[in-house]
Amino acid sequence: MIWLTIILMTVIIFFSRYIFIEPKLPLRLSAGMVKFLSYSAPAVLTAILAPIVFLQDNTLHLNLDNSYLIGAVFAVLLILLTRNTLLTAVLSMLLFFLVH
Amino acid sequence: MQDQQADPEQVPQSKLKSALKGAAAAMPLSIAVIPWGILAGSYAIEAGLDMLQSQAMSAIVFAGAAQLVAVGMIKSGVGLTSILLTTLLITSRHFLYGMAMRQQMSPLPLRWRLTLGFLLTDELFAVCSETKQHKFDRWFAFGGGFSFYLIWNIASAVGIVAGQQIPNLDELGLDFAIAATFIALVVPAIKTPSILVSVLVSLVMAVVCELFHIPGGLLIAALSGMTAGMLTAKFTNEAHPNKTLLTRPGDDL
Repeated sequence: MIWLTIILMTVIIFFSRYIFIEPKLPLRLSAGMVKFLSYSAPAVLTAILAPIVFLQDNTLHLNLDNSYLIGAVFAVLLILLTRNTLLTAVLSMLLFFLVH
Repeated sequence: MQDQQADPEQVPQSKLKSALKGAAAAMPLSIAVIPWGILAGSYAIEAGLDMLQSQAMSAIVFAGAAQLVAVGMIKSGVGLTSILLTTLLITSRHFLYGMAMRQQMSPLPLRWRLTLGFLLTDELFAVCSETKQHKFDRWFAFGGGFSFYLIWNIASAVGIVAGQQIPNLDELGLDFAIAATFIALVVPAIKTPSILVSVLVSLVMAVVCELFHIPGGLLIAALSGMTAGMLTAKFTNEAHPNKTLLTRPGDDL
């Protein structure tokens, strides 16, 4: 039963990743659609990170007791100053674990 | 993967160099995901999967969030249909990634599509979209995706071997690593007012959806943000910075 679950999950997840890069799929992206999709990366990544930063135990934490928020603000400043992804990730993690 | 020489789309760079560049671009994300890989492995063992099944979760399912949720559901004895519906909901954002990468990936040969499709995680999408202004480089994408895959699986194996000796990793705040890395990717991508609007709308919607336990909140938030960005650009007559590069001659636009 566990193997069946694993295999069916694999099929569903692979399908979701593959179907739209299959050229035989009769789908032509219009210029408008391409523009719409150009917003997808920042929008999706933000949608993944926002609840991590602003919510803990399903409560909104918009104050300085929230080490996630402090770390996130620090990360925004760092990336603006340095433009270095790795440095920003590492330094803001260090700060986070110091205040957490 | 040897006969790419005749391909006109081939990038003028050595394959290995491109792959290594991709791996380097993905490195912050690969590092951030290590604790999660360990957690995915040890949690699977804790839920009663055997070692092979636990590794298979990471090796063939290869989907962090869906894996952890599914293992949790297996552990609490939830039925197969519910597990699969939940998987579909969590994985639905990948449809969006595939669509966004369609122009770059669909002209590739089948084995490349299968490989990059399999490797198309949040992280690979983040890495590929970060370099979208350049010509799409399949070896760069492969290097990023495959190094991430290897590290995820090695971390899972560590978690599987350590089993339940792993303390409560999920209470240490390791999710911040993901948030920090995504911030470092999103902020430089905000090049126009409409992208800023898109990000802010997505942010607020994601928090609201999560707060009210709305299923599929991630996708709702992302689509709202994308729509808001699109409308902002339309009403302000904004020219997209990547527009000329997105429309190469010969593209079916």
